[in-house]
Amino acid sequence: MNAITWKRFLFTCKIEFILMVRNFFGFFFGLIFPLMMLVLFGSIFGNQPVSPDSDLRMMDLSIPGYAVMVMGVAGLMSFPLTLAECKEKKIYKRFDATPVGKKHIILAQVTVNLLMTVLGIAILLTAGKLLYQLRIQGSVLSVAAAALLSIAAMFAMGFLFTAVGKDAKLTHLLCYLFYFVMLFLSGATVPAMLFPDQIRKLSKLLPMTYAVDLMQGVFSGDSLTMHSKELLVLGGICLLFYGVGAFLYAKRDWT
Amino acid sequence: MSQIIVQAERLNLSYKNIRAVQDVSFSVKAGEVLAVIGANGSGKTSTIECVEGLRKPDSGTVRVFDKDPWTKRRDVYAKIGIQLQETEYPAKIRVEELCRLYAGFYERPADWEGLLSQMNLEEKRKRTVSKLSGGEKQRLSVLLALMGRPKLLILDELTTGLDPEVRQNMWETFRTIRENGVAILLVSHYLDEVEALADRMLYLEKGRQLFFGSQKEFRAWAEARIAPENRREGCSLEALYLQIVPKTTGITMEGIL
Repeated sequence: MNAITWKRFLFTCKIEFILMVRNFFGFFFGLIFPLMMLVLFGSIFGNQPVSPDSDLRMMDLSIPGYAVMVMGVAGLMSFPLTLAECKEKKIYKRFDATPVGKKHIILAQVTVNLLMTVLGIAILLTAGKLLYQLRIQGSVLSVAAAALLSIAAMFAMGFLFTAVGKDAKLTHLLCYLFYFVMLFLSGATVPAMLFPDQIRKLSKLLPMTYAVDLMQGVFSGDSLTMHSKELLVLGGICLLFYGVGAFLYAKRDWT
Repeated sequence: MSQIIVQAERLNLSYKNIRAVQDVSFSVKAGEVLAVIGANGSGKTSTIECVEGLRKPDSGTVRVFDKDPWTKRRDVYAKIGIQLQETEYPAKIRVEELCRLYAGFYERPADWEGLLSQMNLEEKRKRTVSKLSGGEKQRLSVLLALMGRPKLLILDELTTGLDPEVRQNMWETFRTIRENGVAILLVSHYLDEVEALADRMLYLEKGRQLFFGSQKEFRAWAEARIAPENRREGCSLEALYLQIVPKTTGITMEGIL
């Protein structure tokens, strides 16, 4: 990219960011809602050890789950719903009729959603540190790698839902359904250790559960190799969902 | 001799089993207005979308500025401005932001603030695009088509939704643009607009090209298709067109009135 292309791309990102803030949904659920959860559950459960003989405290376990919640808002709600709307209203078609094309806009939308995810997680961690003395015992590299893979898996699911949905309505339905079911059953809001056995078995069927388990693991000091199952599931979701999504897009005329 | 800006040869395009465009050939020269006319579903927009590089023809060739618009998109789009038949913009974007965004897409953008006042949108610059009226949206769409100082303008349903006075002003604007050497490809259902602006015409019926030539030649061609007893001297282009275009099934008011 040369200087002009960069300038153009940054300005497009700025506009997309303004639109996201105006849209309120992504802004609220990505930045404010996880903080509300932090304070709410923090005031209910406090920051006691998860069990009498454990060094792990309640907030050390909950905050990685809230971080996955932020990833889910961007990857499963904000980005796919924007993409579905632009597709249905033929907004991309108009951008295709300019020298930059729709790829430029889609890239800006992905970038802004990624930035919002990073910002949301940063705010969450800062609040966790200030309010509940959050401890991150894993290495920065492990946490970053786990977060990147989890974000990629959330976006892969959202991308597939936009490809499957012939209209925005179906994409909305799939995104809302999967996001809210996974939000409450994956351990992102309420730690899975508090679930009854049946619910815990059910939660193992949900992709978000593996992101929550991975994030909780690396936050508490586990190495990535101790979570090969989670890495395999999330990596597989990325490959499969992006692959099938790309195949459907290539096959279908969506101009 | 004027430079040929668009050259389309034997274009064919199908959607599943429907042949939308069949063996259509035409050209557009610099400083010329070519009007594409025909009933709904005659293949006008599909033909234009092949020229725009938004659809790849099944067979045939399109050259715009001597380049294939499908493969040389970036080069071609730097020189053309497009107003699509149906256009939506991001719901919460403001007029001013949209103009700035589009201006950033071109290396030498037009003075969009000047265009805003020319299009009577100056007072609406802070307004959200979704809150503009149909006519205002249409004018904004034309403004955006002019943003890159195009050498070829493709206008699909230019004055739909505009009041008569604004339509006349718009025609005046496009006459001036044409005089500056810009080629215009105009798709329209309004034959008064075609009569006022077009140098040449392309008439399509069920995807087939039935006529391509000047307005004068079109009149002669159309009159030859009308039974002598139905011919009227000096009738408008619209009256002539209505006699040759396939009749649509009447809309009945049964059960309503």
